[in-house]
Amino acid sequence: MKHLRNILAVSTLMMAATTSAQIGQPYIHDPSTLAECDGKYYTFGTGSGGLISEDGWSWKGGAVRPGGGAAPDVLKIGDRYLVIYGATGGGLGGGHNGRILTMWNKTLDPNSPAFNYTEPVEVAASDGLEDNDAIDPGLLLDPTTGRLWVSYGTYFGNIRLIELDPNTGERMKGNEPIDIAIDCEATDLIYRDGWYYLLGTHGTCCDGVNSTYNIVVGRSRKVTGPYIDNVGRDMFHGGGKMVIAAGDRVCGPGHFGRTIIDEGVEVMSCHYEADFDWNGRSVLGIRPLLWRNGWPVAGDRFKGGTFEIESERRGYALELAVDFVRMAQERERFWDMDLTKPVTPIPSQTLAEVVGTWPSGNINVRIGDYMFRPHQRWTITPVPEAGGYLSNPYFKIVIEGTDRTLAATKDLELTTVPSFTGAPEQLWRIEQLTDGTFRIMPKQIPGQEGTNTRYVLYSAGDSTPTLAEYDFGSDNSKWNFRAH
Amino acid sequence: MKKSISILLLCAPLALMAQNPVIRHQFAADPTARVFNNKVYVYPSHDIPAPEGQRQDWFCMEDYHVYSSENLTEWEDHGVIVTQNRVPWVKPDSYAMWAPDCVCKGNRYFFFFPAAPKEGRGFAVGVATADKPEGPFTCEPEPIEGVVGIDPCVLIDDDGQSFLYWSGMGIRGARLAANMKELEGDALQMEGLPEGFKEGPFAFKRGGWYYLTFPWVRKEGGTETLAYAMSKNPLGPWDFKGIIMAEHANGCWTNHHSIIEYKGMWYLFYHHNDYSPSMDKCRSVCIDRLNFRADGTIEEVRPTLRGVGVNRATDRLEVDRYSKASEDVTIALHDTLNTFKGWYSTLPSKGSFLCYNDVDFSGVGDAYLTAHVKADANTELYIREKDVRGKVLAKIKIVCIGEGQYRRDQRGQWLRVTAPLLYVPQGVTDLCITCEGEGASIDWIQVKNRPTYFRPADAQPSTPDADGFIRRWTVLEPIDKPNRSNTVFTDTYLREHFNKEYFSQQFTLLPRDGQKVKAGKQSLTWHALESTAYNVKLFRFAEERQKQVYGVLFWVVTTIDCPEEMRNVRLAVGSNSASMWWLNGEEALLLSGDRRMVKDDGMSPRLSLKKGRNVLRGAIINGPGMSDFCVRLLDEKGNPVTNYTIINNK
Repeated sequence: MKHLRNILAVSTLMMAATTSAQIGQPYIHDPSTLAECDGKYYTFGTGSGGLISEDGWSWKGGAVRPGGGAAPDVLKIGDRYLVIYGATGGGLGGGHNGRILTMWNKTLDPNSPAFNYTEPVEVAASDGLEDNDAIDPGLLLDPTTGRLWVSYGTYFGNIRLIELDPNTGERMKGNEPIDIAIDCEATDLIYRDGWYYLLGTHGTCCDGVNSTYNIVVGRSRKVTGPYIDNVGRDMFHGGGKMVIAAGDRVCGPGHFGRTIIDEGVEVMSCHYEADFDWNGRSVLGIRPLLWRNGWPVAGDRFKGGTFEIESERRGYALELAVDFVRMAQERERFWDMDLTKPVTPIPSQTLAEVVGTWPSGNINVRIGDYMFRPHQRWTITPVPEAGGYLSNPYFKIVIEGTDRTLAATKDLELTTVPSFTGAPEQLWRIEQLTDGTFRIMPKQIPGQEGTNTRYVLYSAGDSTPTLAEYDFGSDNSKWNFRAH
Repeated sequence: MKKSISILLLCAPLALMAQNPVIRHQFAADPTARVFNNKVYVYPSHDIPAPEGQRQDWFCMEDYHVYSSENLTEWEDHGVIVTQNRVPWVKPDSYAMWAPDCVCKGNRYFFFFPAAPKEGRGFAVGVATADKPEGPFTCEPEPIEGVVGIDPCVLIDDDGQSFLYWSGMGIRGARLAANMKELEGDALQMEGLPEGFKEGPFAFKRGGWYYLTFPWVRKEGGTETLAYAMSKNPLGPWDFKGIIMAEHANGCWTNHHSIIEYKGMWYLFYHHNDYSPSMDKCRSVCIDRLNFRADGTIEEVRPTLRGVGVNRATDRLEVDRYSKASEDVTIALHDTLNTFKGWYSTLPSKGSFLCYNDVDFSGVGDAYLTAHVKADANTELYIREKDVRGKVLAKIKIVCIGEGQYRRDQRGQWLRVTAPLLYVPQGVTDLCITCEGEGASIDWIQVKNRPTYFRPADAQPSTPDADGFIRRWTVLEPIDKPNRSNTVFTDTYLREHFNKEYFSQQFTLLPRDGQKVKAGKQSLTWHALESTAYNVKLFRFAEERQKQVYGVLFWVVTTIDCPEEMRNVRLAVGSNSASMWWLNGEEALLLSGDRRMVKDDGMSPRLSLKKGRNVLRGAIINGPGMSDFCVRLLDEKGNPVTNYTIINNK
């Protein structure tokens, strides 16, 4: 028996390893902010080229960016893509005489007839001796002003800020660089809710499983800084609050990029210097981006498990609409309790005790008081062969210990079917929202064309779940996974 | 009103670079220069590539810009002042806004311009007025009656009488009425001028002589020269004197000009098709010096690339606009499709040279030279002062095939390179670039002043800065300590290596400025310094002294003089990379691992500083990358401690 348990433990571990890892060939260093073009995702890295993904989950090589050099960024402006990258520099034999170049393309799809980069234009340079190395550019199109900014630089001196003309991608005439930080590499600028955020990579790069790369942030009310961290320290004095560091068997996250999927649904992209489950290679990482007290922080990747699915609306739990089965208990009235009698644990109700009372066909769901009973406990498991979305594969959601599967119906309601068939209405997209709650979305609504991106698991009433349009402004759209 | 506002918004100031041509972001022809309020204003016509539907091989001009400069090298574009579709009498979309002029009379500015009128054929000349040289200009509703032609030029005589000259079946002139908007008397054909095509009159007065200058085709089937005649009367008859500038060597058919005196010198403004070598209808403004002989006649002007004006050494010097070069030097456009990207020159072999005159080195201190160069083999260019055999100011080493681990092949690629300035020339001088090896191309050079990272400590005691950072230190030149990575700096490694003796009295010495110690084979000097920043940039300390910057160990010492005992203070340190600190010989703090210089990164335990002198000693070790540190004392609440002095060890 012990032997068997060991085998089970090992196989569980193996499953955890395969399901937690990414799929495809996501090998990259210094990935640009993710860009979407004709339904596909693209990211460019150091060296030439980059990765393409059909679904945001499975990545492979094939993106095309000429010019080589280090750490590009890409941004869609109007109907064109602006690509910015650093040529030479970086200290590796090329010295610190870096150059930053921009170029445009109408598409990122190298197979499109419209795919054609414009001639690169130099927008910044460093002479090799000054306190800056002009590589590692990050773009920000300020949503409040329409002005286009670039932060760039490495540990060699200062991180600088310059302004480009968003119509041409060229440097604004007369624009002088501003020094905004030290001790960073691979910076990026983002804007949210009246604040500008400067994200920089600290730590040791390019040392595989020993790389200590990590991403820190400071913020400012003005794009020109000063960028101040959570203890009031200027990033020009080395300040920075942690956004993401090592953990979950990956180390060395670097080169931040923010992607807004929907209101309240954001992910950050980066590379890990080493993924311990992938031979210690440098791979693309995509994590939920959470906002806590006005600070960005990387969420953990949702990997599934067995949970209560708790509504943010009322705090009730998603459950099968079956009879509540009372548990027998020898009651002790408090006024005649025998204090000499030893206390013993009461076992939790088991599936076997109740499953016989459940119907055999489809069973509807409702939301009720959580009592950690079998009809309230859901096991969520990745279904890697079903594809995915930005950050994760699709999941199946079954009652723990059974194959009874949560499914969407064609009339935008919910049911459970006796067994998982892989049908798209039984697959669920699970994304952590910026406030830490989750949205849960069926891959497809029966009878509707294409992948569903509108309807989510929704509290129609405190006790009544349904499918309705996602609304970040309403707690009805939000759920928590609680393991207890 | 709204229109003039939108025009003003287009007038983004634009610093244009020196040298010929002087307007470098768009075409500008027929330059009329005027001096207003001690500034030079240029009113050129504005060539543009012909839009669809217009004759593609002809002049095409839809509006006027005005430019100004105080030094003839930096030009500001004030934007559009008059455009064809907003002049009441001008035929819209006629693209015939030809050579203009602008004069000032009674604090008003009168802009004269030819264009195709809505009614009739040929050209008329109109007037627009403004309160300022750069506008906004208001156009008169009708052109000047009685003027049929182009290229207006106005001369205001010493008595206030104005004369208008223009080109229309020869060169004509007439008196202008006091309102500057109508003729007074007949239009006269100017007499005494030579046969052959003439246009573009520019008249001025100097030393009692009236000069009538004009583009002139002197040979059958030839192209335009600039010629002139003199007279004692503003409307002639004229005495033809000869050529100011010969035909353009490249065949550019037109030339058109103006002549001004500015700050005691005379200048010829003219045009040439530099940015449009294959189509001579798109032209650019050039300037060269003009000299008069004692008898008032004009010395012939030879066009130069260098143009006029003194350049600051700290400006980017486009040396392809040289004043002199060896015969083998060639010039090429960076981009034949976008010619405004400019040129570069190639010095093809050893001995090739080019010279660039009038470079001002005042304001240059601790500086270095940067250059934009390319080559097909490793080579060297020297920058010399005054002439090709002059003193070497900088040696530009071009390494396009590197060596070592990260060997790169950068043959044929543009590279930014730096070279130390071997000395700083005095004032304004001429530079020559000589090729000392294989051939190379050069785009520009620029001198950059270095930031001041340190000043020598002075005799007075120092104090911490407002944030409590100690900026005065006595720093030892770096000890070689090769390490390829910072990740080796474990606590064990650091304790072992910091506690080794590198030089005698390592933990007790109170070094004086200039004192030398011997560390292994190295003879090293202590320097008493004041950092200009809160963080002490050891990388720059080493680099400025041409010492090893990577894989090094620094020792630093400072002496703190406390007016009384201070209890429960902490030493707050950030260092790049690892460091160890001792107060009065006791270990206070160790920062290990691959670190960045972060303010208040590590804190010592609570310490006491005794009344009087306390010695703070640090050792900072680094592999690759920058090395620097910042140190301050904080009280228990985290506030900086500043009530002490720092003794100078000089």
